[in-house]
Amino acid sequence: MAAEQFVVLAGAEEHALTKLADYREAGGFEALAKARLMEPAQVVQEILDSGLRGRGGAFFPTGRKASFLAKGTGKPTYLVVNADESEPGTFKDREIMFRVPHRLIEGCLITAHAIECERVFIYIRGEYLTEFEILRAALEEVRGADLLGGVTVVLHRGAGAYICGEETALLESLEGKRGQPRTKPPFPAIAGLYASPSLINNVETIATVPKIVELGAKEYAKIGVPPDSSGTRVFSLSGNVVNGGNYELPMGVTLRELIYDLGGGIPGGRQLKAVIPGGSSVPVLTADQIDVPLDAHSMAEAGSMLGSGAIIVMDDRCCMVQLGLRVAQFYMHESCGKCTPCREGTRWMVQILEAIEAGTASEGELELLLDVCDRILGKCLCPLGDAAAMPVASYIDKFRIEFQEHLESGCPMRGESTLEHVLAPVDQHTHDPVAEVPA
Amino acid sequence: MNAQEKTLYDEIQEIRALYPVSRSATLPALRLAQERYGWLSPDAFRSVADALDETPAYCMSVASFYDMYHLKPVGRHLVEVCTNVSCALVGAQQVLEAFQSELGVHAGETTEDGEVTLRTVECAGGCGWGTVVAVDHRYREPVRAEDVPAIVEELRRGR
Amino acid sequence: MSAPESVKVTIDDREVEVAKGTGLVETAAAAGIEIPVFCYEPRLGPAVGACRMCLVEVEGIPKLQAGCTLTAQDGMVVRTAQSSAKAAEGQEATLEFILVNHPLDCPVCDKGGECPLQDLTFKYGPGQTRMTFPKRTFDKPIPISPTIALDRERCILCYRCTRFSSDVAEDGQLVARNRGAQSLITTFEDEAYRAPFSGNVIELCPVGALTSTQYRFEARPWEIQNVPTVCGLCPVGCNVSATTREGKVKRVISRNHPEVDQGWLCDKGRFAFPYLYAGDRILDPLERVRRRGFGELSWDDAIDRAEELLRKGKGRIVTALSGSETVEQAYALGKLLRQGLGAHSAVLPEATSFALDAFRAPLSSIADAEIVVVIGDEAVADRAPIVDLWIKQARRNGAEVVRVPEPKFGLELEQRVSASDRAVLIWSGRAGGGGARLAELGHRLGLDGKPGCAAFNLPATPNARGAADAWAAAGEADEENPEPICLLIVSGDEAASDPAVRALAEQAEYVIAITMFHGLAVGWADLVLPGTSYLERDGSYLNLEGRLQRLRRTVIPPVPDELAWLAKLAERFEVELSPHASAVFAELSGLIYGGMAFGEVGERAPLADRAPYEPPPPAPVAPVPPAAAPPGEHFVGTLTLQRYRPLFSGPAVERVPELAFQRAESVIELAADDAERRQIATGDTVSVRSNGTSVELRARVSRALAAGTARIAEEHAADLHREVEVVKA
Ligand SMILES: Cc1cc2nc3c(=O)[nH]c(=O)nc-3n(C[C@H](O)[C@H](O)[C@H](O)COP(=O)(O)O)c2cc1C
Ligand code: SF4
Ligand code: FES
Repeated sequence: MAAEQFVVLAGAEEHALTKLADYREAGGFEALAKARLMEPAQVVQEILDSGLRGRGGAFFPTGRKASFLAKGTGKPTYLVVNADESEPGTFKDREIMFRVPHRLIEGCLITAHAIECERVFIYIRGEYLTEFEILRAALEEVRGADLLGGVTVVLHRGAGAYICGEETALLESLEGKRGQPRTKPPFPAIAGLYASPSLINNVETIATVPKIVELGAKEYAKIGVPPDSSGTRVFSLSGNVVNGGNYELPMGVTLRELIYDLGGGIPGGRQLKAVIPGGSSVPVLTADQIDVPLDAHSMAEAGSMLGSGAIIVMDDRCCMVQLGLRVAQFYMHESCGKCTPCREGTRWMVQILEAIEAGTASEGELELLLDVCDRILGKCLCPLGDAAAMPVASYIDKFRIEFQEHLESGCPMRGESTLEHVLAPVDQHTHDPVAEVPA
Repeated sequence: MNAQEKTLYDEIQEIRALYPVSRSATLPALRLAQERYGWLSPDAFRSVADALDETPAYCMSVASFYDMYHLKPVGRHLVEVCTNVSCALVGAQQVLEAFQSELGVHAGETTEDGEVTLRTVECAGGCGWGTVVAVDHRYREPVRAEDVPAIVEELRRGR
Repeated sequence: MSAPESVKVTIDDREVEVAKGTGLVETAAAAGIEIPVFCYEPRLGPAVGACRMCLVEVEGIPKLQAGCTLTAQDGMVVRTAQSSAKAAEGQEATLEFILVNHPLDCPVCDKGGECPLQDLTFKYGPGQTRMTFPKRTFDKPIPISPTIALDRERCILCYRCTRFSSDVAEDGQLVARNRGAQSLITTFEDEAYRAPFSGNVIELCPVGALTSTQYRFEARPWEIQNVPTVCGLCPVGCNVSATTREGKVKRVISRNHPEVDQGWLCDKGRFAFPYLYAGDRILDPLERVRRRGFGELSWDDAIDRAEELLRKGKGRIVTALSGSETVEQAYALGKLLRQGLGAHSAVLPEATSFALDAFRAPLSSIADAEIVVVIGDEAVADRAPIVDLWIKQARRNGAEVVRVPEPKFGLELEQRVSASDRAVLIWSGRAGGGGARLAELGHRLGLDGKPGCAAFNLPATPNARGAADAWAAAGEADEENPEPICLLIVSGDEAASDPAVRALAEQAEYVIAITMFHGLAVGWADLVLPGTSYLERDGSYLNLEGRLQRLRRTVIPPVPDELAWLAKLAERFEVELSPHASAVFAELSGLIYGGMAFGEVGERAPLADRAPYEPPPPAPVAPVPPAAAPPGEHFVGTLTLQRYRPLFSGPAVERVPELAFQRAESVIELAADDAERRQIATGDTVSVRSNGTSVELRARVSRALAAGTARIAEEHAADLHREVEVVKA
């Protein structure tokens, strides 16, 4: 029987650690003291040895990324913390900021020391007002306690744009522009924020750093499924489960254990139909695939990804065409509009899926949809286009019969689907008289 | 320039000072102006532009990229219902419809008395406790259709 | 600088050698391979990789890459759509996605026939569309200014236009609004795109989304001719082509000279041409007739009358040149008057000095400068617009740009300038002795010795230097300013509209005016001879760099051109003068251009080498306006008035209704402190007074303006004096 293992959320098992005193009580800021006695390069080495990989979605080795930072450019180095959490199904960073804000700040200060940077920006999604206030208060305490050690930490609030979670779009937004991704190269490690070397990491990644320094890389690396999936992850469980919420688990626990043992299973005696294992942008898994362990390797074998660690559970009332439509609507709404395939392709996907759901589409249009997905895949400026095409293609692939039924006789759920008629947000600014809203 | 704008101008100068490149103050400055003016009216853009040494067109262009800025007037209260997948799976649409009938407006509209604006939003980041509803930017989790009348009542009393 | 190392790249199995870092698109072109692009435009700054039209396969990289964002690296192996199925599929995909929302209205589109999207669709596009759903629809076309129309349905969101606005012209007025599929191009609150360089977006737009209101439906590509010439409205002399149809100029477009204009034009040069067809254009000679005002007369009579007046005038003739004459005209006029009548006196709008030849460099060298000092109180964009773009580019490249009101540098600044190998001085104001004072300064700071340094004077007229040199070459004797003047010859519209010249006319017994428009000469000249425009002349201009450029006759003028009747008139005085520009040039060239042949001045004229520095004759030191007093000492009394001549002013602009919106508003610019002290806010109506005169203007508070000074455009300043009182009305 799988059990939670508190590393990032350590000390906050019972209640949130929002007071500096309580956090220090639980051993907070000892890692920082320890790290500051180490050479910066040593700290980077620790992170490398720990096997820590990015928790934002790309799962890139954190120590490696830090080691890419350009040296001796005469420009300052920046640390940018990605707290824009907006991948549908994901709400773990929010939990971390809510429960252990000081640990995130401690992680920032240790990392800042490791990469010899004096300015840290935390880009927090604009909707997270309470979490922003908590973080601001925590930062005040840390400043008051003289722990900053000459490092400036700036909290920067976003304003509602999923794409700003993409690192280069985030940098543009942080520079006060429209949040449209940049072409790479140059990579942020060479020319990022203000064209200076910049390290961008997810909240959970940074909040893990203090624990690595505290336990030591060797110890930390033993957690989970070394070497590729060391450590814990805070999984966000949502959808049709009894106990939705965040669960910090060592990687390697199976989906079944998470959904049934910890999540309490499917409510109302319903049948499990499908699971999205890593946020809405990853391929779906079917009910018979849930014995796959939650680690990078196993997930890849199962044909999906851990992504942002967001598990969305769907019971037998969920229409897969409606799911596809709703997911496509999200990416259409969030496409930044810079590159052609994503901007035009996601809109086209929505139009075709609407027709399929309405039962007005032809066999040809299902093929067309697959072809449109294929024409988006790998052609875009940033991964958002793929994030729309990949899952939708997987829904068709795994639930083809259901799509076929729509073509022949409309939605088989006959209005009983949980996603029936869900109203997706439209562009908030289309009051512009000449801008149309796709029907 | 009236007194209010002056302070807006000065506050924006303070924010600019936080950043190595002062254009970074654009988003915070727009948020400030929105709080002052209630929404980002042409005049709001003009005063932000003046304070940032940017053009009003630039400020409008940036603001229109982000969902949290209002380029048209909104009610005194803002009710935002998340209708992304996780919330939808557990009844977001029913919650939305409950708000629509309680308030007598469709999503995207404002009540006639100008009190409440109702709108749907994409994933708010509380999926495990869906349906998530943000009332004046404070999350209510979870909200079920039957909770809606009380929330609306509270808003009406809160005026 | 050492030559950049060269690298070998293989594209579609063809090997090319180019300089390391050359763009892949250019590298492919060098191998004779086209990589199609829409958003890529190097003049707009680093590639953005937005449209994805340029997808290519690069060996070693699994994903397709945006070719426009890559640069040549040694050993790189690239496959374009021509040899890679994957790349071809990617390209086809992009094209299909672009067309998903692009209307198929090519037959009625102004871009039809010269449209990259049309061509590429033809080359690579899918036969028929698979898009069966409603396309994005917009009101179309909407004006974004009186000169530019926007058709949002045709827009493919390549962001070229908005990048030009924000990253080149830096006017920040044309922007993208909304996000994703809702994105659209717009201005703030649909106000007019009012900026000096707005028209360039028309040429940048790769589709028919941004079009010229002047050119809409005027002509189809196969009915037109593009005649190469240079713009004659300012001393830059941008290289342009005049698109003509049935003997009329329909539009003016750029003809990229990389050293001069980089392919940019200001809106004056682009949109002012309709002044050729202004209602008050003079088509026949006119003479003053007692009481009846004016009467037309035949050309023969006009020549007789001119001869008569010239004989009356003899040595007591003064010629007021405009500085817009071609060198050939100025020489012809000079030869006739000086050799035929011994009338050596000419007045020019401003002095010109040869001393700057020691600092000669292409305008493009500004972009590479590390420090640029702009001297004088006039906006660069008002005198020589394109120079302003070069300065902006220099700043973006990291140069420091300093503005000083007069040629008095602080010691620290002097040291930085003389220490630099890439320093540029630019004189943008009056009282420069035609570059003499700038040359002295530059020499003192040792710039003439350094090839990377340069000094540019921005004259007030397009060909001041050329006209002056030609006039000088036409005779030996010095001028003897006659008193009183018997005959004043007014050559050209600028002279005719110059108050100083009008004043001279007061003293003269007789006046002959050569001008295009009734409004300018009728009423004060005795004989008016119709003039022509730079678009109607063959000849040469010498621009502010000292570059001799060729003007071509793009359309036949409605009147005989100046050389034609000057030649006739010359006969009467036994002066040999050819009516042909080429012959006149040949003669003049022998005197001052080292015998260069007319034909040698090519399509894209080269720049002559630097001359050794020669100290200029002591320039008549005109009074330089004193620096504004510090606010402290400034009581709420008077402010020092700066009058300026806006870019959008003058005889041509005044005759083009579409340009009215660009002209200076009746506004007075005030420094923040001065405004505050007077409780004046932007938008208030204020009255501006100086002894006797009083003008009502709208106030605009400027944080840039020095305290104690106020700016008003010439056309709104009436006859206000230098010291003015400003009070809220
Ligand atoms: C469309 C898109 C959205 C993203 N959203 C987020 C996000 O909300 N939070 C985040 O940490 N990373 C997000 N990422 C990943 C970031 O680009 C980046 O890889 C990550 O922040 C790096 O931090 P890490 O290495 O610690 O994971 C997103 C990526 C894409 C393409
Ligand atoms: S208007 Fe033309 S230039 Fe501007 S974005 Fe659209 S297509 Fe590109
Ligand atoms: S789906 Fe509703 S909060 Fe995420």
